[in-house]
Parts: sequence; structure tokens; C-alpha cells
Amino acid sequence: MSDKRTSVKDALFEPPGPKTRRVIRIATVVSLAAIAALLWVVLRRFYETGQLDARYWSVFTRWTTWRFLGKGLLGTLEAAAVAGVVAFTAGFLLMVMRISGNRILGYISTALIEFTRGVPTLLFIYFFFLVVPKFGIKLPAFWKVCLPVSISACGVVAEVLRSGVNAVPKGQKEAAQSLGMLPHSVFLKVVFPQAFRFVIPALISELVIVVKDTTFAYVVNFPDLMQNAKVLISNYDALLSVYLVVALIYIAINWLINRASVAAAGRTNRYAVPAGKKQ
Amino acid sequence: MSDTMHETMNDRTPVIELKHVDKHFGSLHVLKDINLSVQKGEVVVIIGPSGSGKSTLCRTINRLETIDSGEILIEGTKMPQEGKELARLRAQIGMVFQSFNLFAHKTIIDNVILGPMDVLKKSKKEAKEEAMQLLSRVGVDSQANKVPAQLSGGQQQRVAIARALAMHPKAILFDEPTSALDPEMIGEVLDVMTKLAREGMTMLVVTHEMNFARRVASRVIFMDGGSIVEENTPEEFFNHPKSQRAQDFLNSIQAH
Repeated sequence: MSDKRTSVKDALFEPPGPKTRRVIRIATVVSLAAIAALLWVVLRRFYETGQLDARYWSVFTRWTTWRFLGKGLLGTLEAAAVAGVVAFTAGFLLMVMRISGNRILGYISTALIEFTRGVPTLLFIYFFFLVVPKFGIKLPAFWKVCLPVSISACGVVAEVLRSGVNAVPKGQKEAAQSLGMLPHSVFLKVVFPQAFRFVIPALISELVIVVKDTTFAYVVNFPDLMQNAKVLISNYDALLSVYLVVALIYIAINWLINRASVAAAGRTNRYAVPAGKKQ
Repeated sequence: MSDTMHETMNDRTPVIELKHVDKHFGSLHVLKDINLSVQKGEVVVIIGPSGSGKSTLCRTINRLETIDSGEILIEGTKMPQEGKELARLRAQIGMVFQSFNLFAHKTIIDNVILGPMDVLKKSKKEAKEEAMQLLSRVGVDSQANKVPAQLSGGQQQRVAIARALAMHPKAILFDEPTSALDPEMIGEVLDVMTKLAREGMTMLVVTHEMNFARRVASRVIFMDGGSIVEENTPEEFFNHPKSQRAQDFLNSIQAH
């Protein structure tokens, strides 16, 4: 990683002096003790109520359990990937409409962005689950998850992309224009590639939200990780253990996505303007 | 003119011509009835205090700034206001900016080949060969595969000049090309510009480098308050400025 950049730590704090260091040490010990105590209380309660009994956990010794969860995981990943692509495409179009300079397109896009950002995902799910079938449109369960989740994300994606476009220095566009490039070339070859690099971290955060939103699949009976977990629970009566494992799997997915974003950011770091240089 | 480089084309048609150009920024009258022409092979240097409108003037020529009234002609063709025609004319006029404006996401060589490939529809191979020649001409061929942020300001500006040259422009506009550079890098950029001028490139240069103006300019234009106050050969202008404002300006910069 580039060492020239201000990390959040640098931005908020200056290097601690002797007094501060002592305070930090004490606070560290105290908070570690508090966390350990909390953990102990939780485990203790689990033990007392029998949640740690083998019968709740033996389900994970079966190969079929893992295969079933794996299938659910595939469903989740598939839905999240498709929803991510749809949301990005729709978000890109909304952003282009908004910055197109055409007043009417701009108003339409702004209205759509505000609408999709303001309405909770669950309402879109209900819309596709309950309202759309009333018009005789039969969608597969997969799309009843993907479409609402992408609609709910596309407005945010549009705004994230727009903020990236605004962050590209005006001189970049001018340099491309002065070469005689046409407006669409200027945008697609010079402005947008840079804007996209700026917003990779924000887009990744949105992708994490998309992954989490796919858990609404249980509403429409699409077999994703969450839905399959529910099936396991009702079959084995192992609520806590299954949810705990499923939570860990979600954490792992989103951790991997974040790692990928850090790697992507690192790869584009060499394009950054070093501190102290005018550009 | 006893110039062998100039071909049969009508030598009297200026490469760049501005007629009665006016422009306002809100209530500020930034360009007042500007009349100016640049002949083929000429190096016209515009000087003047900051805020005098010289950068704005430079940027109107390829329509990075719009004008309120008047005409801008490139080889006798009126500058179109939009679309493919505008782009086509822009491609014929190179531009070098104060802040270099190299494409930050592209390598040096890709900066130079983008225009030729996208606008002139050259093949990548052809564009690359020429780009390498241009980069060696400005002395940065060894940096071809780096990205702009890895180069010094002087190197970046020389790449920007190569990028402009790759379009085979009829003229190049320089908008304060050395104002963002450390003193030791100014020389290397001015050297490249001097070489270009000697090779017969038509240039319009907005600058604060008086020595460059003195040595290289065919003509010096002094602007103040949005108007062209004086226009003369460098010898005449620097030795016998006619207007009071030019005298004051020259005194103020020679005072230190």
C-alpha cells in the first residue's frame, strides 16, 4: 500500500505522547476484559440452556448438510452476481441520463434515483411477489429476488458513479476535447475509466449490501443460503447453531469482497497523483 | 516572405484569426473586441498581468470557452459550435495546458496514441511507432511505459507537447505551459518549445517567460483588462513599449 496517503488514523489522531499512551494501555485492558466477560456470559447462558449440546451441532457432521448449505450459497452468489450486474447497468444508465444535460431525461433520472433510494428493498420484493403476479406475469423465483434487489441498489450506484465523474478533474475532459475526440469518446475513454477507479470502494460497499439483500429470498422461496438454513432449522430444530454458521459464511463472503476491493484499489494506486504534485 | 517551407497554399490566409471577439463572465467583460491573426509559421506570444484575459483568449480558439460575439476562423473556416465539425477542427489545433492534463489512467505511450487512434483512426502499431519517435524528440522515450504520476512536471509537460504533435496540428496553443513547473524544469520545456518554433510550427503562447518571448516570438501581444493593448515585434515591445500600461507591466516584472 502507498505510504504517502493519509490513513483514517492519521487524519483523526496525531502520534500519542507518554500520557496518551498510558491512557490507551489502560483503555485496551479494560475493553478486552469487558469483551471477555461478555463472551463468557453468552457462552455460559448457551451452556445452561443446552445450546451447546451435541444434538444441535451434530447436524454439521453430516456431509448432506454442507452440500445443502453449499447449494444455498451458490444460489446466494448467483443472485448477488446477477443483481449486481443489473444494478450496475441500470445505475450507469441513470447516471448518464442525469448528467446528459437534457432537462427532461435529467428530471426522470433524478426522480427514479430518489424513488429507488427511498423505498426499502422489502417493499420491492413484495411488489414483485404479490403485485406483479396479479397482472398475469409469472416470474421465476430467481428474478423475484434479483430484480427488486437490483432496483433497490441502482439509484445508489447511479449516485456513486456520478460522484466519481464529478471528481475527475475538468482538465482531463478538456485535454480529450482538444484532441478532437467526440463527446462519447471523451466520456467513455477518458472520464469514466477514471471516475470508476475513484468509486471502486463505494461500489464494493454497495455490492456487500446487495449480497445481504438477497437474504430476502426467503420471502419468495428462492433457495439461497438463508432459505436453505431455514429448511435445516425446521428439520433439525437447531436454530442457534445453524444461524451462527450461516452468519459466519456471510461474513466470509463479504470479507472476501472487501479484500478484492483493497486489491483492486492497490492495483490502481500507481495512477494516483503523489502528494505535492499539481495536476 | 522568402520562406521555402511554405507550400502553394495561400500564404495570406491566417491559420488562426479572431474578429471582434467579445466575451463576458457574468458582469465581467473578459474579452473586449479582440482582433488577432496568426500566420503560418508565426510564434505569437501573449503576455500581460494575471486576469487580463490572455488564458481565456487562448481557450476560446478551440472553443474550450465559448464566445458571446465575433468570429474565430481556422484557416478561413469558421469554428463550428458543436458536434463532429467542432471536433474535426479541434483536432487540427493542438493544446498544451498549464496543468499538463495528461490522462491520469493511461501510460505515457497510451496518452500519445489515444488521439491518433480515436480521432485519426490510425492503427495501434502505426500510432505507437510515431509516438515513440515524438517521445524521443522531446526526450522522454525512456518513460513510455510509466504513468503520468511517476514523471516530473517537466517530463509530463513534454509528453503533453508530444501528445499534441501526434495529431499533426496546424498550430499549437500553449496556455501558460511553464507556470506550474519548478524553476529547473521550466528550461527543459522552453527548450522543446524553442525547437518547435525553429522547425516552423505555428504557435500561440500565453506565458510569463519574458526571455522566451524576447528570443522566440515573431510578435508579442500585450493584453490588459480584456483588451489587446499593444502588438509589436519583441525588440520594439521590450525596448520601446508604447503604452503606459505596457511600460508599467515591464517595469514591475523587471524590478526584481
